[in-house]
Amino acid sequence: MSQEFRLEKIGLINRDKKISFKFNGKKYFGYEGDTIASALIANGIHLVGRSFKYHRPRGFFGAGVDEPYAIVQLYRNGETDPNCRATEQELFDGLETKSVNCWPSVNFDIGAINNFLNKFFPAGFYYKTFMWPKSFWYRIYEPFIRKAAGFGVASTKHDKERYEHKYEYCDLLVTGSGPSGLASAYAAAKNGARVILAEDKPRFGGSLLTSDVNVGNQSGKEWADKIISELKEMPNVTLKNRSQVFGYYDHNMLVMSERISDHLPKSKKYSPKQRLWYIRAKEVLISSGSIERPIVFGNNDTPGVVLASAAREYLKVYGVLVGKKPLIFTNNDSAYETAIEFKKNGIWPIVLDTRMNPDSEIINEAKSMGIDIRFSHVVIAAKGYKKVKSAEIAKISEDKKDLGKIENISCDCICVSGFWTPTIHLASQSGNKTKFNEKIDAFVPDKPKQNEKTLGAANGIFTLEETLKTSFESGEEVSKKITKKENKISVPQVSEKKHAQHDKFWCVPLPKGKTYKRFLDFQNDVAVTDVELALREGYRSIEHVKRYTTLGMATDQGKTSNLNGLQLVSSIENKIVPSVGHTTFRPPYTPVTIGAIVGREIGKHSKPTRKSPMHHWHEKNNAVFVDAGVWLRPRYYKQGNEGLFEASKREAKNVRENVGVCDVTTLGKIDVKGPDAAEFLNRVYTNAWLKLPVGKARYGVMLREDGIVMDDGTTTRISENHYHMTTTTAQAANVLSHLEYYLQIVWPELNVNVVSTTEQWAGAAIAGPKSRNLLQKLFPDTDVSNEGLPFMGYLESKLFGVHARIFRISFSGELAYEVNVESNNGNFMWGKIIEIGKEFAIQPYGTEALSTLRIEMGHVAGSELDGRTIPYDNGLQGLVSKKKDFIGKRSLNRDAFTKEDRQKVVGVVPVDKKTSIPEGSHLVKDANASLPNPKLGHISASCWSVEYNNPFSLAILKDGKNMIGQKLFAMSPLKNKSILVEIVSSHYVDPKGERVRS
Amino acid sequence: MLYIKCPYCGMRSQNEFAYGGDATVKRPELNKEVSDKEWDTFVYLRKSPRGKHLELWHHVSGCRQWFKAQRDTVTHEIFKTAEIKEDI
Amino acid sequence: MQKYSVFNLIKNALKGHKDWEVAWKDPTPKAEYDVIIIGGGGHGLATAYYLAKEHNITNVAIVEKGWIGGGNVGRNTTIVRSNYMHDENGLFSEFGMDLWRNMSQELNFNVMFSPRGIINLAHSDAQMNAFSRRGNSMRLNGIDAVLLGREEVRTLIPMADFSENVRFPIFGGLMQPSAGTARHDGVAWGYARQADSMGVDIIQHCEVTGFDVDNGKIKGIQTSKGNIKAKKIGLCVAGSTNILAEMLNMKLPVETHLLQACVSEPIKPILDHVVTFGAGHFYVSQSDKGEMVMGGDLDGYNSYAQRGNLPTLQHVLTEGIAMLPFLSKLKMLRTWGGIMDMSMDGSPIIDKTHIEGLYLNCGWCYGGFKATPASGWTFAHTIAQDKPHELNAGYSLNRFSTGHLLDEKGLGTKTWIS
Repeated sequence: MSQEFRLEKIGLINRDKKISFKFNGKKYFGYEGDTIASALIANGIHLVGRSFKYHRPRGFFGAGVDEPYAIVQLYRNGETDPNCRATEQELFDGLETKSVNCWPSVNFDIGAINNFLNKFFPAGFYYKTFMWPKSFWYRIYEPFIRKAAGFGVASTKHDKERYEHKYEYCDLLVTGSGPSGLASAYAAAKNGARVILAEDKPRFGGSLLTSDVNVGNQSGKEWADKIISELKEMPNVTLKNRSQVFGYYDHNMLVMSERISDHLPKSKKYSPKQRLWYIRAKEVLISSGSIERPIVFGNNDTPGVVLASAAREYLKVYGVLVGKKPLIFTNNDSAYETAIEFKKNGIWPIVLDTRMNPDSEIINEAKSMGIDIRFSHVVIAAKGYKKVKSAEIAKISEDKKDLGKIENISCDCICVSGFWTPTIHLASQSGNKTKFNEKIDAFVPDKPKQNEKTLGAANGIFTLEETLKTSFESGEEVSKKITKKENKISVPQVSEKKHAQHDKFWCVPLPKGKTYKRFLDFQNDVAVTDVELALREGYRSIEHVKRYTTLGMATDQGKTSNLNGLQLVSSIENKIVPSVGHTTFRPPYTPVTIGAIVGREIGKHSKPTRKSPMHHWHEKNNAVFVDAGVWLRPRYYKQGNEGLFEASKREAKNVRENVGVCDVTTLGKIDVKGPDAAEFLNRVYTNAWLKLPVGKARYGVMLREDGIVMDDGTTTRISENHYHMTTTTAQAANVLSHLEYYLQIVWPELNVNVVSTTEQWAGAAIAGPKSRNLLQKLFPDTDVSNEGLPFMGYLESKLFGVHARIFRISFSGELAYEVNVESNNGNFMWGKIIEIGKEFAIQPYGTEALSTLRIEMGHVAGSELDGRTIPYDNGLQGLVSKKKDFIGKRSLNRDAFTKEDRQKVVGVVPVDKKTSIPEGSHLVKDANASLPNPKLGHISASCWSVEYNNPFSLAILKDGKNMIGQKLFAMSPLKNKSILVEIVSSHYVDPKGERVRS
Repeated sequence: MLYIKCPYCGMRSQNEFAYGGDATVKRPELNKEVSDKEWDTFVYLRKSPRGKHLELWHHVSGCRQWFKAQRDTVTHEIFKTAEIKEDI
Repeated sequence: MQKYSVFNLIKNALKGHKDWEVAWKDPTPKAEYDVIIIGGGGHGLATAYYLAKEHNITNVAIVEKGWIGGGNVGRNTTIVRSNYMHDENGLFSEFGMDLWRNMSQELNFNVMFSPRGIINLAHSDAQMNAFSRRGNSMRLNGIDAVLLGREEVRTLIPMADFSENVRFPIFGGLMQPSAGTARHDGVAWGYARQADSMGVDIIQHCEVTGFDVDNGKIKGIQTSKGNIKAKKIGLCVAGSTNILAEMLNMKLPVETHLLQACVSEPIKPILDHVVTFGAGHFYVSQSDKGEMVMGGDLDGYNSYAQRGNLPTLQHVLTEGIAMLPFLSKLKMLRTWGGIMDMSMDGSPIIDKTHIEGLYLNCGWCYGGFKATPASGWTFAHTIAQDKPHELNAGYSLNRFSTGHLLDEKGLGTKTWIS
């Protein structure tokens, strides 16, 4: 089976390996090394999609990253990817692909009706209509527009592929392996620099693969191959193909995406699909080349209109003819290379050159080959709907305003060249301001901002000789700075054809009476008339033009359209291009897979999971876990068919009646050491700390400087100059940073050190009336009586030979202790507690029971200390020292904080003693008041009191201290509840605090 | 990603650090009478210039030292970093 | 002013769209105005519009350093909502919602207000409780809010991660059905066009270089286009507030930070709501064009750069995939940054200042876009009446002294932590 448009003897594809693939359900074949685009063109297919707005037929325009049209849906290994660029996606066996944005098919697309109505849809038309009736925008118009827009269809399935990240440091990063990239990388590598050379395409060599030049008596390609094979052997060089450096960030950090498996039917085992490289480069040489820009003419979006350079690439790399009757339309010499290439392969092109009488070596060569060249000629419009069938051409006057007689010539493709635009994206991203180069009608990098330099075509240098010379020099220069070596490379002899000056002509005028659409942005259907309209309506800044018309906002980000848009604006506004200015280049240079940006931090690994040493025991004992920050904590231990409510009630009740044990490892723990530790704590906490004896613990509250409670916890004096501070699980990291801030910055004179010990200690809280009996059995040789270890006492002992710290502190309000052992003994401790506790009917309890116990005792926690409350609000005013200063004290005298009717924590009981009050309800006087209904406070925490067997809640209530005994409504409109409640003291159980001291 | 020189550890990538804001904020001394205005200035007012900014960074995933940096808030160029006790 | 309508569109189409008038003029500044608004962003343009419409003050100039709509009104993620807990924020924003609902018709410019609903996902019971507190507060303030269970969320966002392999499972969410999105550029242009038609001068590419203050009274401004006098001047320059404040020797409880956003390539409709992730800071909606519009955390250090770094986006997109795994296969197309006024309690300031005739509108943090109409309306009132309206009374500058803070997140003064 031969392919009609494939040539036999030319190209870099592997003809030994045929690859079959499907396009829109039909089977085709190509060769290894083809892209979807080259394989389809080889099969004579040019219609691949439909445009965004008018649904006009779309073919292939480029041959790489600049492609504005050929966006397809890709199917690979049971998954589908939307918006795949057919000019970049390499063929693999079994590849399937479909056209997007068309229905029912790309050949017959209903949406194309838009094209016939296009005069009603100029730029910004949607701002002017769809306003009546009011509700129709959201209900009718918008859904319709949404459906019509978008390209591919995203799968809602989880991505099965793996993406990895790599961090790399190098002396020199070279972005692009064309002549400038190869020369500079080679020179630098020879000087001993650690070089990374990145090439977006599968093949190294860039323009050397397609241009007809001679370097050191070899063809460009041969020279490139030689350099590449040498670089490959050098240990200080990393060569990466299929790798796009897409972003140039601060401090010379560049990011590159490497496509490792995209060209394979499926990713190999242990191999990611893509790898994202964060590269910190000492120096960067930007050798990203240039992109050919089109000349704008009528119906220039018709399939079969291609860039002349792309036509050449299809020929020389893929052995594919974009057409057999090519019309070449150019304003410069480079398209002649395409013409000559056609001719060499037996195809007779016609060249239309906008210039009057150019003279150069290459034009003469074309002439001598007998190629039909017509100077001062332009294409007025392409003819044909789904494929170019002919072109209307005419002679154009010297001032480029008047057209001669229109002639129709038959052709099957139009290869267009409007000269070259340097790819300055990376330089611009790095902060380089860029400047306009009149000679080439394009922007080039100006003074570097970071350690970067732009070479070759990317810097507006379009001759190979100068490119190689300057690139070798630059490679030597930057590497010399780093390696201090000087290994001069002699620049090879170059022979290339000298080019004549290009014509500063980029847009063909419309003949009288013709209304052909002349497109600037092919994907977004932005035509010359759209830009004219925007300017007419006062959208004159280039950013306004871009936003109003969507010029340059398609997935190709305006690579082929931006400069022509600028030219148009400047010519209408009668300004020079640089004064119009270009829109900002932002990363990424080309769209990057989001999965690759994210890497391995997906699913369970999206955030770290921290587990206590006893986690495994909890799992085995049917714990249901809850996230507490990044920690997992047992919420309750399920027995039989219990749910959360029953289980937590049982566990809490058992604490009140017998004894329970709770894993408190997650609490933040900080060692505070040094002769000034007491003084430091005295400044950090609101209460007094100077007189705490060794072997005693104290509860403390710390504030932010704005007076808001930051955290609370107990701190124990372990020895003279050593304190053990505990924080809440959530605030542990913040508190440590806070302490370090004050020690290092505010009070450096204090001789104190702090260090986190959270992970060094495993903790178990043993709570309940029988806790002392249990403790005695755990520590038979230690006096743990009320006298030996009083409330807020501390001692150290051995738990069956294991060093243990015992704190007599209580969060549950019961007689309670907290035992800490070194983390690796945590399981041992836990096992012993459970084993020996059996005789006292011990049960483990989770955070839910813990919460119940603290709520009915009126102990405040995270839901009250919510970053908005002061000590008074939490009933902690007794802990606020009047005598000494501390962090945040000065803020407590603000008006709002000292108001008579300031909010305060209270207890709330439903009057019916049955109805649980949803957390997050608000307290109001009148349940039926009109909205907005004034809110007096909110329910911060609710539980089922196991002591009284009825619901109980805590609330932060305005004028709380005077509200005890009042009846209010707890309203939860979200749950459709309005509950009559009575305000009571927050200390619902054991208000005098006798149990903890018993 | 910024590349920051910790005065104690050397060049490290930004993800090892936490930002600490304006380094010129000075906490009033303890036990000293301060006016409401002085106090509010300390708690709520920060320098936020366009250009050179003296700021604090904290090497949280490293030596856990706070230090000063002078950075340009437009270009992100870091001119100098220094220990807290040093002047920039 | 030319009316925008489908009939006019057809009429003009038949004439080749040659007769469309400019949306706003390009005047040279007069020597003096009754009011000058500094900043041609959404808030400034809206303020000028409401000064003219509600207070009949039309001798007004908007002075803009660059091009109108080029700041945060053109750089946001287009979310419009009033799902606040504090009364001051809720009632203010809900007043704005009414303005949003009628904006296209009032401005005769389709701002594409799309009340598609915003869903804040919750990943723990504690978060469900916090959302209940906020949602109940909204409801008691007359703002719509619905608490969703896990299964209800699944019905609305079936492609969210309901699998086993998830770090923070979805417990439910809080939804404001009437919230949604609007076309950001359209808002700026719509206000500009109407303000212009009522006589407001929109002066672009005019940078303020100084203020004339005499004896505690504002007299005018110095600009790159000369001195302009005015009796009253309003500052609406989010992101540049500190720069102008410095010219006035004012210190404000505002820091300047960078917030990045990004969009994916356009795909066919897949997500019908605005969704936020509860175990981090990520929000997403799908634009009418099909792009997934995404944002999240600040870059984390003071910045005026309008360009950010990748780790922040990586972090944001990590949360994105944690919530909506299908995002993994999409491609990030475009990223950009906006400069935020981060206030010390996360809420804005709309107030008079100690200088007579100088008014301040700043500190919008992440929430400036949705506030555009209400901010303009109340700021116009504050300027015209020389006193705040009750809707913006809570947004006073002295609340930092009095302690009447409006801290929705309870994070305090470390503005860079979100």
